[in-house]
Amino acid sequence: MESLLTEIVDSGSSVAILDISGVPTVDSLVAQHLLKTVSATRLMGAECVISGIRPEIAQTIVHLGIDLSGIVTKATLASALLYAFSKMRLEVKKIQVSK
Amino acid sequence: MDRIPILRMGQFLLVTIQVDLYDRLAIDLEADLIKMVSKTGARGILIDISAVSIVDSFMGRIIGNIGVMSKLLDAETVVVGMQPAVAITLVELGLPLKGVFTALNVQKGMDLLQSKIQVTEDDDVETHDDDNSDNLLK
Repeated sequence: MESLLTEIVDSGSSVAILDISGVPTVDSLVAQHLLKTVSATRLMGAECVISGIRPEIAQTIVHLGIDLSGIVTKATLASALLYAFSKMRLEVKKIQVSK
Repeated sequence: MDRIPILRMGQFLLVTIQVDLYDRLAIDLEADLIKMVSKTGARGILIDISAVSIVDSFMGRIIGNIGVMSKLLDAETVVVGMQPAVAITLVELGLPLKGVFTALNVQKGMDLLQSKIQVTEDDDVETHDDDNSDNLLK
């Protein structure tokens, strides 16, 4: 958490994407920590998006009764990146090359 | 007695906290700031806490209070430049400061305030339009 926050300050980023697709299981402590990280990021003035939540993790989170409703979650890293781009009013376009 | 200066900048009030807050100073700031908002009719408050390295639950509550109070007086509060350690402390204390907006630096905070003011002004204009159309119908 600390390293993420420090990096946000150093780079001046306005959106942070937390991809947890490589995380096989989540317990209440980890989920709570994720929540805290997102809250702390918001306090710093940036936004945190969580992406890549596996179905098992989604199940666990709901069964543990953890409320993630106030947090932006995206299915994949790609859609999180797309969301971040739209937040920053950026667009990725294919350039028409004239022959 | 120490006081934290409150600067007026157009429609906004600017507060830069250069020293570590102690309880008395924070209470005075809260009172001064809210008086200043009602006196000047400010639309936004920008609090720069980039030099604050230590907070406790009391300071967290004061900042939250300022946000809620200024909301009652139709002013938005933006807290800018919070240090990572401070953010972690506030979250661990269970104070996510729901009432206030946040930004990374003063520049972004000002942009945010400006956009908030514009949004509310647009809303006002729309309601006026509605009033006019009502009158026309009558």
